[in-house]
Amino acid sequence: MQDINLSAPFQKIVAQITDIGKAWHSNDLLINAKYNAQYALNSLKDLPKLEKVKQQSAIVISAGPSLHKQDVLKKLNKSNYQGTIVAIDGSLVKCLKNGIIPDYVLTLDPHPTRMIRWFGDDNFEENTRNDDYFSRQDLDIDFRNNSIKENEENIALINQYASKIKLIICSSAPKNVVKRALEAGFQMYWWNPIVDNPKQENSLTRELYKLNKFPCMNTGGTVGTAAWVFANAILKIPQIVLTGMDLGYHLDTPIEMTQTYYELQEFASTQEEFEALFPQFTFPLTGEVFYTDPTYFWYRHNFLQLLEQSIGETINCSEAGTLFDKNLPCKPLNEYIT
Amino acid sequence: MSNLLNGNFTTKNKVEVKKEDGENNTLQDEFRKAALNSIGGSMVYVERTDLTWSGDDE
Repeated sequence: MQDINLSAPFQKIVAQITDIGKAWHSNDLLINAKYNAQYALNSLKDLPKLEKVKQQSAIVISAGPSLHKQDVLKKLNKSNYQGTIVAIDGSLVKCLKNGIIPDYVLTLDPHPTRMIRWFGDDNFEENTRNDDYFSRQDLDIDFRNNSIKENEENIALINQYASKIKLIICSSAPKNVVKRALEAGFQMYWWNPIVDNPKQENSLTRELYKLNKFPCMNTGGTVGTAAWVFANAILKIPQIVLTGMDLGYHLDTPIEMTQTYYELQEFASTQEEFEALFPQFTFPLTGEVFYTDPTYFWYRHNFLQLLEQSIGETINCSEAGTLFDKNLPCKPLNEYIT
Repeated sequence: MSNLLNGNFTTKNKVEVKKEDGENNTLQDEFRKAALNSIGGSMVYVERTDLTWSGDDE
């Protein structure tokens, strides 16, 4: 791991994320899992077997800034790539707009009003009122400038292709996402998130499992990592390429546009302390500098931990960001999709 | 206890009013709690657990 100086307040925030997550999500996880059980016909156990060429390699398409900046989807569209394509909710529409129909799409986050956006939101104006979470970070300029029309187009696009896509949907998914997925006609395969040690007494993971008997998957805290776990541990694909998995920001991204800009202000009393919450990393392939925040750093840490337990080869072809390590080589995408 | 609820009599035993947790919270604590929720990532992650669990030991 790159030797970087992490301030004490930064480390303190990162250390708290694991503890607060369970307290924050526990209720939603159980409520959503109980509600969703009525719609759950298939789980990961029911996935059909992959054909031989799809079993050999996979590309995970996450939704970080490099997906757009590195023209990943255009490169993939022009290539003759025959392997499995695993997208996430946040990259699905972008894939479809670039002529790529993913084999699988992962969705995980239980947020009641934000996640539905990725599937085309019938209640878009209501759900985005007073919430600048997306508009602040939005990389899709078309969507930012013309969001209502773009949302309508996204609804039509998803409706057109949903039946060809396997939605790998977590039992924690909010009601509106489930309703939308059913209406659009996705092939849905359910799973539970591992949220504690299932072998311990009073485990919430075990409680979720008892509700629906779905297989459980570790998520690393984020849907991009869950997509990689799915490809690695469920599909058992021996070579996995990551794209759009930045877990960081380009240096030219204004700090005000980062995902938790407002919230982090509560943890710093001076400008110097605040800036220390955004440590920088030098990407080894290009020497470009990126910065991260406590949440992305936590995702990064979790991913690298899970990677140590995995088998097979994983290569990061995002060509940007903070996700690299001695066990995680970074290479140009073109080496894998020609 | 709210003054509105004080009676015009004296009780035999001293009444201890248990403070609710929320009463001790300052506005800053509330902000901090809300901030932590947002920073807390999109899902729980627990270290040193396997990539998958199929409930086989149920």
